[in-house]
Amino acid sequence: MSSREKYDEQQVVEQLHDPATCRTAFSKVIEHYSSSLYWQIRRMVIDHDDANDVLQNTFLKAWTSIDNFRGDARLSTWLYKIAINESITFINKKKVMAQVSLDDDDSFLVNSLESDRWFDGDQAQAKLQRAIAALPQKQRLVFNMRYYDEMKYEDMSEILGTSVGALKASYHHAIKKIETFFNEHD
Amino acid sequence: MKQEESTILKKLGKDSGFKTPENYFDDFNERMTAMLPDVEITDVNVKPSTWVRVRPYAYLAAMFAGIWCMMKVFNGINGTTSGQMRVNEIAEGIHMEGNADEFMMMGAASDYDVMSYQDSVAQSMDEPLPDVNNP
Repeated sequence: MSSREKYDEQQVVEQLHDPATCRTAFSKVIEHYSSSLYWQIRRMVIDHDDANDVLQNTFLKAWTSIDNFRGDARLSTWLYKIAINESITFINKKKVMAQVSLDDDDSFLVNSLESDRWFDGDQAQAKLQRAIAALPQKQRLVFNMRYYDEMKYEDMSEILGTSVGALKASYHHAIKKIETFFNEHD
Repeated sequence: MKQEESTILKKLGKDSGFKTPENYFDDFNERMTAMLPDVEITDVNVKPSTWVRVRPYAYLAAMFAGIWCMMKVFNGINGTTSGQMRVNEIAEGIHMEGNADEFMMMGAASDYDVMSYQDSVAQSMDEPLPDVNNP
């Protein structure tokens, strides 16, 4: 499929439930959502190879359970939910392997950020990633979705199952914590 | 949204510093599609058979029929028992006192009541009555 071809979600969902067209339709889904899902996952797991694995798992899980998707929610919401669950599962497994407590924050993920060949940010950007990684997991998600993806609170609310008010508060707390991190690590 | 952001974030901008291998997304679709296993998809466009459409109503009808049968069975059991008890009570009353006759003499009983009473007396005469004085 050409990326210039118009993506019609309703048509794609209908095609997904037709055995004759489901594979082609899912290919369109991959084409349309791979980039946004990748960046969401990447900001959570930090490493490119890990993000690639999690993204593949996300699409595999979506594909194998496509029969359960009846179009009650938007496809993007459903995919984001899978991606977030896969990311959190991956991070928790990595914590166990690194002998880090599951209650600790995800700072261990950014330990080798500056030596990562798929990170070309400067010191300030690396510091921002450290500050974000030090946030509680839900605040990280909220911050990344709002700050980098500029996602609407209503959409985030559908994906995360949290009220808009709570998400706004979470984003506000995240910014305050990042500011504090920068002030403390000057 | 701008009002929510701090001066630090404004200075840093939205670039996270992460990058991907060249043509990563161009190749990803092809690689990912090749990895997809065969799955069974339920075709929602296929019309369901008559039985599949009628099935819920058939089950509902069967359920009501079952309830009706159960009510019939229980009513039958209870009806026989209570009917027999009434006959026995009347017969007992006749043996002990003549109050039934008194009741009828007052004209409170209809013809039907009198006939039912006579039938029940005739039926109860065939059965030995319990001795109420020596239980």
